[in-house]
Amino acid sequence: MFNLKEESFVENRLKEDKYIEELSMMSPKYLDGIKKILTVSADTELVSAPAYYLAAKDAPTTNAFISAMGIIQDELGHAHIAYRLMEDLGINKEEFIYERDPKSFRYPYAFDVPLVTWTELAVANAFYDRAGFVLLDDVFGNTTFGPWKRALVKVGKEEGFHLRHGETWMKKLVKDPVGKERLQKALDWMFPLTVEWFGLPDSLKTQNIQLEYGFKGQSNDQLRQTWMSTAVPLAESLGLKVPAHYCENKKKYVLEYPFPCKFDAQEKKWLFSEGEIPWIEPNSDGYSVMKRWKKRGEMNEEFVEILQKGHKQVCQMLER
Amino acid sequence: MSDVRKIVIQDPKKRTSREEEIFQILHDVQDAEFDIDIVDMGLIYGVHFDHKKQSVIVDMTFTSMSCPAVDFMSDDVVERLISEKDIKDVSINVVWDPPWNQEMLSQDGVKGLNDWGVIKWV
Repeated sequence: MFNLKEESFVENRLKEDKYIEELSMMSPKYLDGIKKILTVSADTELVSAPAYYLAAKDAPTTNAFISAMGIIQDELGHAHIAYRLMEDLGINKEEFIYERDPKSFRYPYAFDVPLVTWTELAVANAFYDRAGFVLLDDVFGNTTFGPWKRALVKVGKEEGFHLRHGETWMKKLVKDPVGKERLQKALDWMFPLTVEWFGLPDSLKTQNIQLEYGFKGQSNDQLRQTWMSTAVPLAESLGLKVPAHYCENKKKYVLEYPFPCKFDAQEKKWLFSEGEIPWIEPNSDGYSVMKRWKKRGEMNEEFVEILQKGHKQVCQMLER
Repeated sequence: MSDVRKIVIQDPKKRTSREEEIFQILHDVQDAEFDIDIVDMGLIYGVHFDHKKQSVIVDMTFTSMSCPAVDFMSDDVVERLISEKDIKDVSINVVWDPPWNQEMLSQDGVKGLNDWGVIKWV
């Protein structure tokens, strides 16, 4: 069994502004925290591949399909980077990816809702990849885990391409009245889903090891604001209605709907009129955001099965 | 055997003054991933302006034939040039010969990619 360091070793190293470079420099608390954040990052990138592929099949031209497949290839590469880093932290990568229960995958609920049209893929690139860009840019600027920081140089460039792809297609589609209507319909359900992407509000975060140990720099609410600071102006510049605006008095973006609230995943519709619901403990009607997240959504099992199927089939074939 | 290849990289000295201006304007269009523009990236092989027709043909290449950004970088070029008062029509002539390589980068392009840690030339 590998001997990890005492907490004081990590704390002193961070005080000296030095990176944690490998497992032998980690304390149990640091190791646990970095594994958690890497798992979310790796799983999100991995599951985005089948999620985007479903919509990429709706590409209007061969070159558009190549663009979408290029994005999917990038996402798989990003997942590979994070899983590789986890392997160095003692995780059995094969087991972790191919033998885990679908519900154990840690990625935003948004990917459990199917993206089925090219329009939805464009909005996903503009909104979801922007969320990924905001989160990873924050990690790049603040993480204390050296190998991850260095690996993110490549990831950041590629995520920039993804969100630019989304913006370009939104600009193209919005010129046509039908295209604009479809974009609005996609934005109506995908905007609030991306606002939720950043997790629990700061007021409900009981411990924040991610900030204390410098795995990231901004809190959930700050990251949400960073995302809105470019996502809202983008939607506004295209003449789309977006349920948020910048409030001069509060000096921040404010939402124009109850947050959080109920979501009808089958209809891809937010039930704003039913008011706010709790984040954690279910209300008298049995609803909470956490309950929905934990239950996972429609595509969870299907996407994980797509990702695991080939590996399982080859393993069975080789055992014969 | 005759050489069927056309020499398509335009000699800057043969550009008209307006063609040179248009070439310089294309510095406004960014590469798909890196924070350098498509002229410094060496993607623009030539600019042909027809004053009477108010049209431009841009000879443009990409870093690979499977580049996923062909469509939207072409769109960015059209969008930028069409905003010029004397340009009503823009065509992109995609050129694969000679293929793009690192020597097509301008000095600023080399510096930019060096700064990003993508190439190590200096």
